[in-house]
Formats: sequence, C-alpha cells, structure tokens
Amino acid sequence: MFHAFKLDDNEYDLGLSRAAQGYRLHLGDKTVPVELHPQDDGSALLHIDGVRRRVFIATRGDDVFVHLDGAAYHLRYEHPLARLSHQAHGSADDSVRAPMPGSVVAHHVKAGDSVSRDQSVLVIESMKMETTLVAPRDGVVAEIVYAVGQTFERDAVLLALAPVGE
Amino acid sequence: MNNWPFRSVLVANRGEIAVRILRTVQSLGLEGAIVYHAADRDSKAVRMADKAVEITGKTPVGAYLDGAQIIDAARRVGAGAIHPGYGFLSENAEFARAVAAAGIVFVGPTPEQIELMGDKVRARAFVADGGFPVAPSAIEDDDPATFVERARQVPLPLLIKPAAGGGGKGMRIVRSLDVLEAEIERARSEGQRYFGDGRLYVECYVENPRHIEVQVLGDTHGNVVHLYERECSVQRRFQKIVEETPSPALSAELRREICETAAGIARKAGYRNAGTVEFIFGNGVFYFLEMNTRLQVEHPVTEVITGKDLVHEQLRIAAGEALGYGQEDVRSEGHAIEFRIYAEDPARGFTPTTGPVLTLREPADTRVDSGISQGQEVTAAFDPMLAKLIVAGRDRADAIARAERALADYVLLGCRTNTAFLRRLIQHPAFVAGDVHTGFLDANPAIAAEPELKVDTLHALLGAGALVTRSLRDPADLVPSLHAAIGDWSN
Repeated sequence: MFHAFKLDDNEYDLGLSRAAQGYRLHLGDKTVPVELHPQDDGSALLHIDGVRRRVFIATRGDDVFVHLDGAAYHLRYEHPLARLSHQAHGSADDSVRAPMPGSVVAHHVKAGDSVSRDQSVLVIESMKMETTLVAPRDGVVAEIVYAVGQTFERDAVLLALAPVGE
Repeated sequence: MNNWPFRSVLVANRGEIAVRILRTVQSLGLEGAIVYHAADRDSKAVRMADKAVEITGKTPVGAYLDGAQIIDAARRVGAGAIHPGYGFLSENAEFARAVAAAGIVFVGPTPEQIELMGDKVRARAFVADGGFPVAPSAIEDDDPATFVERARQVPLPLLIKPAAGGGGKGMRIVRSLDVLEAEIERARSEGQRYFGDGRLYVECYVENPRHIEVQVLGDTHGNVVHLYERECSVQRRFQKIVEETPSPALSAELRREICETAAGIARKAGYRNAGTVEFIFGNGVFYFLEMNTRLQVEHPVTEVITGKDLVHEQLRIAAGEALGYGQEDVRSEGHAIEFRIYAEDPARGFTPTTGPVLTLREPADTRVDSGISQGQEVTAAFDPMLAKLIVAGRDRADAIARAERALADYVLLGCRTNTAFLRRLIQHPAFVAGDVHTGFLDANPAIAAEPELKVDTLHALLGAGALVTRSLRDPADLVPSLHAAIGDWSN
C-alpha cells in the first residue's frame, strides 16, 4: 500500500517494506535501502543509499520533524482515507482561516449574520500590521471562534459559515 | 560590591532577556524576582526566578505594560530594584517616575533622560547643539509655517520621519520634490495613526546606509566610557537580525571618532545607565540617529569583546557606585557576532511561525541567550525572537567559521526557525566581505528563498519519516524478514 508525506507544498508518495537488513523505501520506480538506529544522546543514525547521517527526529501526531545536515524540515503524514475524503468534499469554502499567527482586532459581523462573498468579516493583527479578512462565499455566519484580543495560530479556523443547504 | 542598597531585584520582562538578567542578579548573590503572565507560567525565566508573581492583562503583552501591577508585585516580594530589560516599560519615563516614587530603584536612566532621548526631534537638537554630527535636516516644530519650504532646501534624497517615531513606522523616502508635499501628508497621517502625533521632520537620506551604534556607560558621578561599536546593518523590516563587533566598515580612525562622539553625547546628557548611541554611516561619514536608554538586545557581542557584564554594570550604577575604571581600561579583543533566532519563515516574507518545542539542542562552546525550553509551545502572543546565538572568534573570518558550525548544530524541532536562512546569509560573498547595508536583504531576496531540495536530502527525509510513522512501519514489520528476503530475490 502506498502512503504520502507532505513536505512544504509538495506531496510525495512512498511505500516501505522489510529487507533482510533494515527496510526498503519505495519511491516511484526506485527502491532505496534504509535503516534508522536511535542513539543514547537523542539523535539517530540514518543509513540511506549507502550513506550514514546523524539526524534528530521528533514527532507529534502526524507531524514528523527532522534535523538533517544543519537544517530542520517538517513532514506531514497524509492519511490515505483523509486524502480521499478531502478531495471529495473540498470544504475550504466553509471557513475563514488564519493566514498567519496573530490576534483578533475587530469583528465586523456576528453569528447569525448573512454575509456576501468578499465582505470584510474580521480584522486581525500580525507582525504589527492589520489585515482584513473577507468571507469566502455568500452565506450565514455560524460561529466566530476568537474574541477580540485573543491570539491564534496559523491555519486556525477564525470564522465558520453555516454549510450550504442547512 | 557587598553593600547593595537592594537585596532583591524584580525583572519586569520575559523571555531570553529575563533569563539573562536573572543570571547576573543571582550570580551576585542577590535575589531574582519576576512578574509573569499566565502564558509564560512554565517559561525558563519563571522557573529560574527565586520569586514569581503572576500579573494579568487583556492581552499577555498588556500585562507586561501594566506599570502599577508590576510596582505592586515588587512591593509584595520586597524587591528594592526593578530591571525593565528592553521593550515593554524600559523607555517609559512615567514608569521610571512611578518606580522611584514607590521608593524602588529603577535600573535605568533618569526619567528626564528617557524623555529627552525618546523625543527624536528634541534629542537631535540636543546633539546638534553639542556640535555632534546630525544629518542636514528640516524640523517642523522649529517653524511649522516654513516647514515645506525648509524641507526643499535639504539635499535629495530625503527621508520624512515622524517626530514621535521609532521602528521604521511612518518613514517615507522622497527622491523628487514633486511628490514632497503629498508624502509629507501621508507621513503625517501615519504618524498620527501609529503614535498619536503628526509632527514630522525631514532629513537627508543616506543611500545604502550602514547602522553602527556605540555602547556607552555612565554613572551617577559623571563618569562616562564607551564600550566600542556594534554594526547592525543586516535587517529585515527595519529589525536587526545579525549584529557584530568590531564593525568591518570602520577604519581605526573612524572607529575612535564615532566611539568618542557617542561618549561625548552621553557625557553632555549626564547620562546614567547603559545606553546605546545609534548612527547612520555612509560615504565615509556618520550622523547621529537616536539614543536608546536601555540595555539592547545585541549587548552580548559587546560583553564578549570587552569582558564586561553589562547587567552587572547597570546594577552597580543603579546602586550609586562609580564605574571605577577609565576609557583606557576598556579593551576590545577578538570578534563577536550575534544571530537572532526567530520563529519565522524567511521564505514566506518572514512571517511568524508557531509550534511546540519538541527537541531543543544548543551548540556546545557557544553562548546562547535563550528564553525557551524543550516542551514549551511557541505562540503568537509575543515577539517571535526565541534566542540569540553569540559566537566569538579571533577575528571576523574565524567568528564566521564558528557561526557556520554553531547555526548548523542548533537543533529546534517542532517550530520553524530562521537558522537555515542565517547560514545562507553568512555564506553570501557580500556578508563575508563585510559589504552590507540596511537594505541588503531586500536587495538580495534569493537569500530568503528556500533552496531546491537535493534528491539525496529528500530521500533521507522520507526514509526518516517512514521509519518513525507507525502507519508505514507496522505493516512493513508484519511481513517476516524471511519473506522479505525472498522478496529481495524475486525483485
């Protein structure tokens, strides 16, 4: 079965199987031998394609963070089922998400209000700059998640629209 | 010093600078207290402090700006002095006054000195009055009726600045007199919006300027020394990210001149405390920019080359002690560079990032001033600076070589930082040559861009990812290795 990791904006399909020693990584038509040996100091030795490198790896949920050759990377495991359902529904239009971390400066609408596409709904502040966020489509505001002054992370849902047809 | 007039010092700050101040306070045998907002409850500084008092606010930042609450906390823990760090209340004259009125020592200058240097127009006039160099300029307050007329006499290009400004806000560059009046109006409305003050001044703008500043120390007995310069020309959005000393731009003669000028300005102000006089340097000349009346973020590079602990000096001065040494006793040895490690994504316009600190490993043999610890969460509530990495070398080339290693060995997993970007920056030929200016990063956007991933790096990342993800590894382990071996043959 094939799985996928997201790295920055790209998605990579891969598979993994056991080898006599270690594992084999299947990438398209390529097969790469790979082994990982955790060390006492918290690092790990990664043998891949005949080269040994020292890495640091941390995980949280489906996120994998790797420090390799002096740089840190963030991989995200994409569940095969979640990917399928995401493609089928495409629910991005039902919410306003935070383009960057920040705090809420003002609400221009409240729950229950009807809004039209591109109408300004929230003002947020990040990096000492104010940004106005707009409704992604016509609809009714179901919920405003953060009060004025509250802080949020990137990609947090700030405002939800009621699903169409309800 | 054994006879401190205070036994306990309250730090009215957070993050790395709170840790930095507590380190010196405690090493002197004094008690280190701190105030904190709930968002910082588990922070390194709060855990380190001998006493900690929670303060509240509408926002976390608001709590650290609430002078009355902080003074009340100082009373409750019996602190005889308050160290404001940088930012927050460090340059707030009203706070300094209120602290003194409460019978507590403010580790900083007098309220009058804060006010003088906080008003950019007054500070400039004060400096010019002493015969020190300021850029050719026109100041609105001198005679508002003739402001535009006088602005036209200043050599082009011009820089319009709000009188109450700071941090690059509301500044506008004018290259043609045709747009002068329109730009003045725009700068006025920005000044009004950001600072509640629409007064302006115009000065001759130095193209591709370098930012060079000088550390000074003044005591209550009228002694002033300088601790040499720092160059802080590598900036993004008018914020410094790399600072070093000595400056690669100055000849020995210019170095002496700029340092003596700074000391002269501090002497004229009767300055008390650690302070920094900032200059714009270009085309072989320097002009006074402003004076910061507090400890600077980048003070550690000065500590490295002079061997002085600036927080210790601040505390001694606040306690009324004389410096006890003269200019000839202050030596500069070797080269130091500081890197500000930010939770931000350089490739996405330096936007802040957030996330958990899952793994934190600091490089060996390198000073790291840090406010974070493994297990904590980086949030959007505060400034995104996480830590500072300070490298020391025999000379600049040696320091850069050590920085390369230290940046590569700084491991922080869970929240994206700018360390890979900093490594690309110090490998850039212009940086290596010491040939940078404040617009350097804007002029070289390729440094901030994410380089293309090499194939072997990608394979290594995917291999590491696959082997620590159970959804991949568990099914693979279900196939006994004997079958796997057969699989090898049949391939």
